[in-house]
Amino acid sequence: MTTLPRILSIVSLLLVWLLLSTIFPPTIVPGPVAVVKAMAENLASGKAFFHLYKTLLRVGFGLILTMILGIATGTLMGLSRKGELFLDSWVMVGLTVPAIVNSIICLLWFGLNDTAAIVAIGSAAFPAVSISIWQGIKGIDTQLVGMGQAFHLDRIAIVRKIIFPQLLPHILASMRYALGICWKICTTVELIGMSSGVGYQLNYWFGLFSMAQVFAWTLLFLLVMFAIEYLLFKPLEKRLTRWRTAVPALQWAQ
Amino acid sequence: MAYRSSGIAVGSITLRNVAKQHSMPGGHSLRVLDDISFEAADRSFTSILGPSGCGKSTILNLIAGLDRQSSGQIAVDGNRIGFVFQQPRLLNWRTVAQNVILPLEQQKFDKNDLRSLAGKYLALVGLSGHEDYYPLQLSGGMQQRVAIARALAIDPDILLMDEPFSGLDEITARKLRQELLRIWQETGKTILFVTHSISESVFLSQQILIVSAKPARIFKRVAVDLPYPREYGDMRLFEIETQLTRDFLGMGQDA
Repeated sequence: MTTLPRILSIVSLLLVWLLLSTIFPPTIVPGPVAVVKAMAENLASGKAFFHLYKTLLRVGFGLILTMILGIATGTLMGLSRKGELFLDSWVMVGLTVPAIVNSIICLLWFGLNDTAAIVAIGSAAFPAVSISIWQGIKGIDTQLVGMGQAFHLDRIAIVRKIIFPQLLPHILASMRYALGICWKICTTVELIGMSSGVGYQLNYWFGLFSMAQVFAWTLLFLLVMFAIEYLLFKPLEKRLTRWRTAVPALQWAQ
Repeated sequence: MAYRSSGIAVGSITLRNVAKQHSMPGGHSLRVLDDISFEAADRSFTSILGPSGCGKSTILNLIAGLDRQSSGQIAVDGNRIGFVFQQPRLLNWRTVAQNVILPLEQQKFDKNDLRSLAGKYLALVGLSGHEDYYPLQLSGGMQQRVAIARALAIDPDILLMDEPFSGLDEITARKLRQELLRIWQETGKTILFVTHSISESVFLSQQILIVSAKPARIFKRVAVDLPYPREYGDMRLFEIETQLTRDFLGMGQDA
């Protein structure tokens, strides 16, 4: 029974929105009907697809950069004490500097283009992944590695069959988390320096004080993110962690 | 280590004056093993009996080539060595069958052959029909059976077992001991079995090496000349056990 709570949760969100929209005027909280109508118009004109495409492109490549940087630094920190000491302050700086600083610096360095957005996203989001991978490597069961050695598995087989599967849950969890961060940073970059994308549209309609459009663009992106979550991440995670969910005792504990 | 594709099973182990020390910070060295010499003949069942943490496992690691001795010689006749650990050490994300064939995947085997090999060895340990279960769905005893099937699947000449039943409840452990003896007689492996349980070593082995602690040294060799299958509650086993217990306590006073 996992679908019912999910449906209830979404229905309750909609109800709260509906309730607020009846209390406040549409310039403060526009109702679901007006917002969906504005969103449909944006989609019908074709304009929404272009901006959505631009944002998803930046978020997508930003996420790839984030994962590459995060996995590389996290692995180095997890495997080598020197690497840990060396990269520790990098990660601390990365975690502490507000993402808007990365955005401003990248826009000044690379100009008002996609590269700036992607580098800003990657540099601001990777420390969260580093830490997750670092913890994951620290938590690797070395007894299993010993088992692999006792059965004469070669190094590649040990990494691929024994170490990587133990890191996979950490990689997946950090990727989902990183996707959220990447999207937030992308909107910031688009808001301050781009002439396309969802963030740009939000800024544009903010300038015109059109609350319905601000809501419409937010809703559109929410729907896209939900689709990614439920059509990509959830099934992927379910498939990769079958062995864990197959246990009746654990199901009971949830 | 190369696996032989065919041949007569020969699995004897000979240790001559094997010693092992770890160098510690500050120039000290910690002696783990001291002058260990013994021989385990082909198809024999030998137990190494000693208190916990005395370095018994180190002997197995040296024989398996996971560690190197500081001095002395180790001769292993027989190429393949199967290893069963105290914990099952299964890969929880793989099914039971996939766990059993893990050590075989590097060799050029047909997929269907691997599958039938897994079935064969799971049947040998009494787990037919459990091929597609995941380890976490099985009890501790069943997981240890899978680990034994994995060790047997490489068709080893020698089976090294490091306190494999010490994490199980006594009823399960008894059942598994009896089955291990059946498997041993069916397959003709040379088994070297590490344990801290006197009754377990007496029930299982033909030869028992009592090892003292820190550094591990062979304190006494005992031959158990009783036929198989053996029964729990056999008075002859009990007498040997009583004698060994006395030896064990005497060893404690010497140390």
